[in-house]
Amino acid sequence: MSAARELDAVVVGGGSFGTTLAALLAENKKRVKIWTRRSEQAKEINKAHANSRYLPGFKLPASLKATADMESAVRAAPIVIVAIPSKSFREVANKVGEFIRGDQVLVHATKGLEVETYKRMSEILREETCSLKVGVISGPNLAVEVMNGYPAGAVIASHYSEVIESVQRLFAGSRMRMYGGRDVTGTELGGAFKNIIALATGVSDGMGFGDNSKALLMTRGLNEMVRYGVALGGNILTFGGLAGIGDLMATCASPLSRNYRVGLGLAAGEKLEAVIESLGQVAEGVPTTAAVHDQATKMGISGDLPIVEEVHAVLYEGRGTLQALKNLMNIPVGDELSALRGGD
Amino acid sequence: MEDKDRERVVVEVTHRVMETYGRDPRTVEQALFDTLYEERLRLKTEKDSEEVKSLSKYYGSVRSQAMKADASGQRELLGDLTKHFTEEVSGHFDRHVYSLATRIMPTVITATLNTLSPLKLIQGLPRGFDTLQDQLILQGEIEALRDLADRGTVVLVATHQSHLDSIMLGWALFKLGLPPFTYGAGMNLFSSKILGYFMHNLGAYKVDRRKKAELYKDVLKAYAGCTIELGYHNMFFPGGTRTRSGAVEQKLKMGLLGMGLDAYIHNLRAKKEKPDVFIVPCTINYELVLEAETLIDDYLKEVGKSRYIITDDEFSKPQVVLDFVRKLFSLNSPIHLTISRPLDVFGNMVDEDGNSIDQRGRVIDRRRYVYRNGRPSFDSQRDKEYTVELASAIADAFHRDTVIKATNLVSSSVYSCLRQQNPDVDLYKLLRAGGSADSIPLTDAYKRIDLTLRSLRRLSDLGKIRMDRTVGRADTVLMMGEALAHFQSFHQHPAIVRHGDRLYHVDRNLIYYYRNRLTGFGMKEVEVGP
Repeated sequence: MSAARELDAVVVGGGSFGTTLAALLAENKKRVKIWTRRSEQAKEINKAHANSRYLPGFKLPASLKATADMESAVRAAPIVIVAIPSKSFREVANKVGEFIRGDQVLVHATKGLEVETYKRMSEILREETCSLKVGVISGPNLAVEVMNGYPAGAVIASHYSEVIESVQRLFAGSRMRMYGGRDVTGTELGGAFKNIIALATGVSDGMGFGDNSKALLMTRGLNEMVRYGVALGGNILTFGGLAGIGDLMATCASPLSRNYRVGLGLAAGEKLEAVIESLGQVAEGVPTTAAVHDQATKMGISGDLPIVEEVHAVLYEGRGTLQALKNLMNIPVGDELSALRGGD
Repeated sequence: MEDKDRERVVVEVTHRVMETYGRDPRTVEQALFDTLYEERLRLKTEKDSEEVKSLSKYYGSVRSQAMKADASGQRELLGDLTKHFTEEVSGHFDRHVYSLATRIMPTVITATLNTLSPLKLIQGLPRGFDTLQDQLILQGEIEALRDLADRGTVVLVATHQSHLDSIMLGWALFKLGLPPFTYGAGMNLFSSKILGYFMHNLGAYKVDRRKKAELYKDVLKAYAGCTIELGYHNMFFPGGTRTRSGAVEQKLKMGLLGMGLDAYIHNLRAKKEKPDVFIVPCTINYELVLEAETLIDDYLKEVGKSRYIITDDEFSKPQVVLDFVRKLFSLNSPIHLTISRPLDVFGNMVDEDGNSIDQRGRVIDRRRYVYRNGRPSFDSQRDKEYTVELASAIADAFHRDTVIKATNLVSSSVYSCLRQQNPDVDLYKLLRAGGSADSIPLTDAYKRIDLTLRSLRRLSDLGKIRMDRTVGRADTVLMMGEALAHFQSFHQHPAIVRHGDRLYHVDRNLIYYYRNRLTGFGMKEVEVGP
């Protein structure tokens, strides 16, 4: 029935991170194929070994193949990795659901939430496919750095040992150290949430504040991540790992981070639309801010998330960045670690 | 169970349980002495009888042999104990009643029933069995249940409020023309003549809950698994016991639930013609619960540590049961037995053709979930997670098909008013003393009912709960009348009594009990206070 398949893994999504993961695996001698929505892009990967739109200047391994045919892609491998922006995640997941079967492992590497429903990507995978063995890959993985060949680490979180072990085997020997975890909720929320904080640190850096200010935003941001994540069922310890503080450190301080760059642009007085336009790629933090803000308001915990509130006001309510930072500085100070202690 | 199967089951169960203990001499030794210790401890608390004497002798001899035996000898002794438990469990299956119920025409059965003494009690009802037939509303996926019982093996999993549940289920299966379902029932249930009769009709085997040894529990689980595998439909209450608080069960027992999947994988490996196992959730809802007072009392005494076995409740007194049933029926109070949409062992919905379908309505090849390297395989970690998925689907179904009654809604409104009047009083004090006033204005209660109804209707429109006819009609005055009449009729003290334009909270434990049925649905009108 589930006889040997022709590939080791399939990556669904030809954006920068999807291509990066696929390239990393191909380089690690894994038989891997990438599914792209546009056939021209698949052609470019197959013929020119490049993805000029999302990873300009990088040469992809020749063994890496691409296709725009979902059926042949999904059916070909025991492990399917979905790396699609949250906005079109459901639509693509539904297509994956046409062909995937219950013996396959289905994981995703998308850091965002569905704006309308606040759902996590693994919840969408469960709704749109028959897969039960699902998981999430997350961590500090700036695509360009991985493509440059630098060492990195990530977490594969799943309720199923089979998922964790098979993804670890897939990445074994690569430049990506793949740690295992059980907390799917925390891992997904950490990855989504840090983008909001990256927007804020981008603003802080853009306004010329120093490292102290950035560290303040990041640590208080971590605090908010914990409050939010734990309220939704995440394990507090997860946020101290690669998918929490690890990802926060990389994203909030790197000019390679798209969300950080959006913050920089906003601090320079540019309009949100213009910044996103010039980025040419999705900055997940923008819709995630809306989702987290709305969800936290409904849950009655928005008061616990002042940074989220200010970022939301800057993005969607026309608040000036200086005013937003001033507001944050004016919040009464309390016990620093109350949220981490589980008290408050 | 047929004789040929019985023998097979004993061998198979013994073998499987022994497999789980493996070959490690330390594990075997531990299991052996633990079992002997637990059993000898239990026997000390039992009343002296021939049975107890002979068991004591048996355990004593096993123990002295175990002290001298080497590793393989101890393994053999553990095997003997396992076989002893297995035979005890399977031996209680009453073949005669089983075959009577399966083979003889329903009309003949009715005639036979009427000649049996426990049935005299039921004949005492206004119109005997007809009444039961009128009052028990069997609804939901009845056809699907019938079809699937033919296509594969069905495991019926029901909510559990009262010992009467077993009667209702037995009667319902009989009315549907289905064969009896295998069912592990507590020993105490057999002591009641009426219930004992129905238990047998339900294909019940006796479960001795006083036996605490792990080995015994393993035997019970394996026994259920083997009977499912052999194609005997099973029935059990996944909440494990009657709900003490009155709330709909959401925390389910994983061990027994997982046996459906276990049997399915065994069936696939054995390439059986009909390997499928279908899980069919079912809810039973009453306007009044016979044992309400005992149950809520037990809950409040020791939240979370309720007695697993209650031997002295209302059910142990036949006259009380009869009185209850009579009153329930004279109030024209329907009992709703709702069959939910069937599930596969992974928690996916199953359609009318027996296909598993995903949440987008696409047919799933469910065998694939257990395939690894081209063949069906066991993987205990994976299978445990699959069972978590199943449990969550069952818990959802239990909520979706809960039928809310007037007593629930009226109790909830009175409790909310009480809470509002006494915001700072802790639950126990409030229930015991009743707070600052002994009554609430009727109009306040009406207002509360209206508010809660609005939420209820929203949930019901979304298919997340059901309302019975009176509640659905939204006539608050009628609803109040119906609830008060029920409260007046049976319990020692009526929960709520009306005098003029005020409602007096008389038995607040009962109010709390009936109100708890509405908790867990996320209705803010209900979830006030602790």
